[in-house]
Amino acid sequence: MGEELTRKEKGKLLKFVDSFGLPRLIITGFLALLLIVAPFVGADLPTQLTNIIARFSWNGVLVLAMVPMVHSGCGLNFGLPLGIISGLLGATLSIEFGFTGGLSFVMAILIATPFALILGSLYGWLLNKIKGGEMMIATYVGFSSVSFMCMMWLVLPYHSPTMVWGLSGKGLRTTISLEGYYNQVLANFLRIKIGNFVVPTGTLLFFALLAFGMWAFLHTRTGTAMTAVGSNPAFARAAGVNVDRIRLLSVVMSTWLAAVGILVYEQGFGFIQLYMAPFNMALPAVSAILIGGASVNKASIPNVIIGTILFQGMLTMTPTVMNNMIHMDMSEVIRVVVSQGMILYALTRRTEGGK
Amino acid sequence: MKKKFALGSFMTRASVPLMFMIICAFCIPLSGLSPSYLINEIVTRMGRNAFLILSLLIPIMAGMGLNFGMTLGAMAGEIGLILVSDWQIVGIPGMVLAMIISVPISVLLGLFCGKILNMAKGREMITSYIMSYFMTGVYQLVVLYMMGSIIPIRHSNIKLPRGYGIRNTVSLLSMRQKLDNLWPVYINGVKIPMVTFIIIALMCLVIVWFRRTKLGQDMRAVGQDMEVARDAGINVERTRILSIIISTVLAGIGMIIYLQNLGNFATYTSHSQIGMFAIAALLVGGASVDKASVGNVFLGVILFHLMFIVAPKAGTAITGDSMIGEYFRVFVSYAVITIALIMYETAKRRNKSMEGQRLMMEQKKEEAK
Amino acid sequence: MKSRKIIIRLLTIAVLVGIAAWMFVIGRGHTVYFDNKPYTSADGTVYESPYQIQVFVGGESAGKLKKGDRGMASCMGQDFYMELHITQEKGGKKTGSGISLKLPYNMDGIILNLPALLGGAPEEEYMSEFIPAAPAATEEDETVITDEFTMPLDE
Repeated sequence: MGEELTRKEKGKLLKFVDSFGLPRLIITGFLALLLIVAPFVGADLPTQLTNIIARFSWNGVLVLAMVPMVHSGCGLNFGLPLGIISGLLGATLSIEFGFTGGLSFVMAILIATPFALILGSLYGWLLNKIKGGEMMIATYVGFSSVSFMCMMWLVLPYHSPTMVWGLSGKGLRTTISLEGYYNQVLANFLRIKIGNFVVPTGTLLFFALLAFGMWAFLHTRTGTAMTAVGSNPAFARAAGVNVDRIRLLSVVMSTWLAAVGILVYEQGFGFIQLYMAPFNMALPAVSAILIGGASVNKASIPNVIIGTILFQGMLTMTPTVMNNMIHMDMSEVIRVVVSQGMILYALTRRTEGGK
Repeated sequence: MKKKFALGSFMTRASVPLMFMIICAFCIPLSGLSPSYLINEIVTRMGRNAFLILSLLIPIMAGMGLNFGMTLGAMAGEIGLILVSDWQIVGIPGMVLAMIISVPISVLLGLFCGKILNMAKGREMITSYIMSYFMTGVYQLVVLYMMGSIIPIRHSNIKLPRGYGIRNTVSLLSMRQKLDNLWPVYINGVKIPMVTFIIIALMCLVIVWFRRTKLGQDMRAVGQDMEVARDAGINVERTRILSIIISTVLAGIGMIIYLQNLGNFATYTSHSQIGMFAIAALLVGGASVDKASVGNVFLGVILFHLMFIVAPKAGTAITGDSMIGEYFRVFVSYAVITIALIMYETAKRRNKSMEGQRLMMEQKKEEAK
Repeated sequence: MKSRKIIIRLLTIAVLVGIAAWMFVIGRGHTVYFDNKPYTSADGTVYESPYQIQVFVGGESAGKLKKGDRGMASCMGQDFYMELHITQEKGGKKTGSGISLKLPYNMDGIILNLPALLGGAPEEEYMSEFIPAAPAATEEDETVITDEFTMPLDE
């Protein structure tokens, strides 16, 4: 009897591990260990938690941008930099037109939107032409667009003295400070501060709003159609869904979310980073959502939240804890191995529904 | 009908090289560089890069696409060079020793990479691409933390002052261009590194010969259709792993040839760029994801590097800003890869739908009977 | 059949290891420093240095060494051969001589005191290890750049 119970429990445990995913379990355990160890090695826990929450609030929307494309079966959006570029165009143009303070943030989103719609449509049209090879091409579309914009940042006729190089008076700087513009506009809204512990409520609310919007969208008719296209395109087509249109829509959504996501990131970080900075921004977002339990063709809002917390938590905790403990900062190595390892793991899983 | 189709496919194949010829023809006069300088540079870069690019051919033959995992071989080569320079083995013997050290590391990495790629059939390229990033992390772990602490490193000129880890650049002064200068031939002031070229020529012969061997035939069969190959009794998984191992080993050797020409290397970054350059050059030479020949390698080196040399100068001449040209050539490298990938995928889809139509027609015929 | 395959593989590995070992022997690099300085040995013998010595290693001049000068050359392997063109006094006649030496494997840098060598002193007298000045203790740790975002520009 007792034996049977343990076996049953064992089976349950195995099932739980299986559904949770072994890598995710390891990372969760690792983060928990870091949090436990942190106070003993002299790291201030409230500060650490503040950092994790802050980093989560910066990156949440960028990770959220992965969801629509995964749902529609376009795979992980390695072409995130394209959306980021739309966001950067919005940000720089908003400053160029002289908007300041909170208004500059709103205007940045508004200006970025048409760019995101146009670039996203083109990108989506392209991805419809090459079904099955989306991820590789997405990667290189991202790279090409970033390097193309590198030239544009130099050539486009920007004039705002906060943004162009002081000496030559033309060409944008590599980093632009947002002091006086939308630095911390979201974070300062309803900010909670208890000693060392700070919560950027506004940013979290903004993320929650977008995440809720995404959740609600996925439950509309179009949203369910999108999930259907991703899980079984043949069936969706038979049911009268215009597969190409749904895929295009998902790509546009993903691109727009990336544009908003980079703006949210900038308001937390305090700087606009141009040129090669967006180059590899897709990879952290991709690994975050995968760590959260998503797969190449399945992703949910909880995946986004859990994944971003775990990934950013690991990123912020490892350097401090490691440094305090063994005076050897191996966080960079851990970051690369964990995040890329996670992507590799996801790519080698067999996907249901088949590709 | 058939002829027209062949002409069409020839045009698509030739479009990338043609585009590059136009870019070069436009940029060369603007750059103001003399023909003799350009020829000299191209010959040098041919010797430097050709071997590395040749390492990409075999996985393409096996239908695994562009092997972004060649970076793994490059890392193995670098580890060999770091150890050899610490042991103070110099010149050609140093290079040979570095190659011998790199081979087992490359084989292990290639085996690992091949196994992973077998688990990700149908998306080999993105997987090998992520693999290169993943291995960069492992490489950092070895070179930055284990060398000097676990793996003994004696000389302070390559070790970080903190006592472990390798410095940002490793100097290869003791073997700089030793291979190239073993038998240099000067023609009209152009230095031709004969030994390097002979090695490259031999490698080309080996690849051409390899296509005809049993293993080469198997690889082509696997590349054509995995299921058919399996039915024919070919061990598909093993064949694919072998193609990746061969490619990784060759990339390691190629990296050593490449670095002996440069005379030093950036410990933590030089391998990550090499894959991109090699792949872009091969594609510029008219190769595609599923078809590449030795000829593509040489045409690619010439055209791609010609663009690489003249673009910054031409950019400066046009816009007055040297950075524009630099960004331009990076953009072109990425754009070429993007276009080649898109062309490959659309062609694949077209073939698939044609095949589908053919099957449907046949089925209808059957039914009509 | 199977055993033949294994034998061939083992042979290949053995050959590679053999080549590697051979490379270790012939490829060892040394930096040789030449001192044209007067030398007083332990037993009190003084070796006076000539006015000028020109050293040739591998057909190339490694420097014209006046009294008190030091020259250097890189070489590979343990067998070392150099040619010395010695001028005893200013305006005097050049005399040439070729000298072969065995270099010790475990030394990276080797100092040869030429007057002692020419004067016939024993090996431990004219040959000593060059120990590079220890890096300053205050040498700043260089920041390691492992950035994946770096522009792939330079080649």
